[in-house]
Amino acid sequence: MNQGFKHSAALLAASVALALAGNASAQSAGQFTAKVGIGRITPKVDSGDVSAPALPGSKVAVEEDTKPVLIFAYGVTDNFSTELALGVPYKHNLNGAGAIEGTGKLGTVQSLPPSLFAQYRFFTPDTMVRPFVGLGATYAYFRKETGSGQLTSILNTGGPGTTFHIKNKVAPTLQAGVAVNINPKWFVDLTVTKTYLKTTTYYSTGQTQDVKLDPVGLVLAVGYKF
Amino acid sequence: MRHTKFALALLSAAVLSACGGGSSEPGDQTLKTKFTQEVAFGDSLSDVGTYQVGTVAALKGGKFNINGDNTAVNPTLTGKNWTELMATQLGLPAACAAYTGLDGDAKQGFSVPVTQHAGCYIYAQGGSRVSNPVGIGNKLTGSPLGALTVPVATQIQNHLTLSGGKFSGTELVLVMAGANDVFVNLTQLSTAGTAAGTAAFGQTLVGLLAAGSSNPQTAAVAIGTALQTESARAGSTIDTVVGAAVGAAAQAGYPNITSPAVYGPLVAQAQAAGQKAGADYAAANGPKLVATMAGVANELVALVKTQIIGKGANYVVVNNMPDIGTTPFAGKQSASTVALVNAMVGAFNDTLAAGLANEPKVVYVDAFAASHDQATNPAPYGLTNVKDTACDLSLAKNPLASSLACNGSNVIPGDISHYSFADEVHPTPFVQLLLARYVSKYMVQKGWL
Repeated sequence: MNQGFKHSAALLAASVALALAGNASAQSAGQFTAKVGIGRITPKVDSGDVSAPALPGSKVAVEEDTKPVLIFAYGVTDNFSTELALGVPYKHNLNGAGAIEGTGKLGTVQSLPPSLFAQYRFFTPDTMVRPFVGLGATYAYFRKETGSGQLTSILNTGGPGTTFHIKNKVAPTLQAGVAVNINPKWFVDLTVTKTYLKTTTYYSTGQTQDVKLDPVGLVLAVGYKF
Repeated sequence: MRHTKFALALLSAAVLSACGGGSSEPGDQTLKTKFTQEVAFGDSLSDVGTYQVGTVAALKGGKFNINGDNTAVNPTLTGKNWTELMATQLGLPAACAAYTGLDGDAKQGFSVPVTQHAGCYIYAQGGSRVSNPVGIGNKLTGSPLGALTVPVATQIQNHLTLSGGKFSGTELVLVMAGANDVFVNLTQLSTAGTAAGTAAFGQTLVGLLAAGSSNPQTAAVAIGTALQTESARAGSTIDTVVGAAVGAAAQAGYPNITSPAVYGPLVAQAQAAGQKAGADYAAANGPKLVATMAGVANELVALVKTQIIGKGANYVVVNNMPDIGTTPFAGKQSASTVALVNAMVGAFNDTLAAGLANEPKVVYVDAFAASHDQATNPAPYGLTNVKDTACDLSLAKNPLASSLACNGSNVIPGDISHYSFADEVHPTPFVQLLLARYVSKYMVQKGWL
């Protein structure tokens, strides 16, 4: 949590610095943009087994979720930019898989994946269609991990309600997208991201579970150039 | 610049929201079905204290488990079995024995009147069989304990009698039975096989001794009578029986027969004949027990269909028979006996599965698969020992030589918290939890929990 806050604070400070520097009038060096859109996160889960004592092969599947996102970018040069992606928390259903396939929803978790990217934008600022690629870091922050009667039944029948905690992680993220300039101030863009995220779930029963989430993000957004 | 400030305000809000609240919570513990009762039929694996009376209670025993709450020693040592854990999970009152009592030797404190307990629905009793009333520890087997061993068929009838002839339809019914039919049939086979072996031994020995006597015909009668008389005497041993027969042969004129060098080879020959006869008997009659167990499974299928579901139950969990072939009990048996046990259990489970296959009101739990996997692949289950008994079963420590009288004070030294077995066939509380979780998994999959 503290680490998460420090990280976010650092991002905020960086954004302030960028905002103070920016006062240009084209999508180019020194320009600041903001966009809002819809983000969809689809985890590509490779679940480890719940550790002993467990039915061997007890795995988890994580459902996708769609939520609004808010993204800021700053043009360092005409072709290099930085981007900070924020948004409301995604809520994922956690379902039993593997040996416990068919048990349905066992829990939910909210994830906040604020990401900071360094981007390269092809062509010149006045080009109508500008593809871009990015490399960045995502801080995968999990909160409100919530169990269920079903989870308790399976992990600790007759015991106190089972809780779990998913470890927060910084993970590398690749990005590719294309922006379409509608007019000098407005644009739409579509972005795909792939995050390489491996984390660990800790259950109140003392069991753990390594999970590779490797989410694919898809964002469709409308932006404005300041 | 104004826009920038607005964006910064949004950004700040987003960052702050990201930092607010991160607590883990158990969430909604409500299950999909609100069961009104938990009713259990079966044997020691589900019994919650039928025999926790008289001397058994005084020995701090009562369940076929490691009795008592020893969670202060280790959290796994709850003393609870799966029916109790399930009842708690379902939010029902603590599971309790529908009947308590013992029908054994009063002098040993094993004669306690049978009492029915209102509001208690665990009918399962240690030793009970599916339909035969004489189970393990029943007084008719000669046991001083006098276990009630009310068979499952009668357990169900007792419940029906107490509940107006029907199930309410909103109770969870748990059924797990059949293992004691395996044990009793095995014991009977073993007893009959031993008898056949003993008879062949005697006949062979008498024949050999008579053949060397001066008048084989009269000698055979005399030697045979001596052998039978000594065999029938309480306290006789194989040596005294041989001694009596050899003595009779000497009287009948067998030269030098009292010399071990002379009678020794004859005894060995007779013993070989006895062993062969015993093995032949088991080989000839063992396969019949496989068919017997299939018949027992069919009885259980019929009970589930006509007396449980047919009387109104909508939620019935039927556990098949756990793996007996990997128990400490089986570890002490010959390979051919273990093979027979495996065939008996297999026939029972196959018949049970087939009989209940298309029954939508039944969750069929493959307890065999889990118990077999636990024995052969213990690590993921957190099991540290799957071969030895956690209870010290020496008579000095455990007068019943059973988990029925096992508690925190007479387990073996060391950490037994993650052992599989309390005694030679009964699981520890830890494995009972594994079973409860396993049953729960099936019930969640079915949509009942």
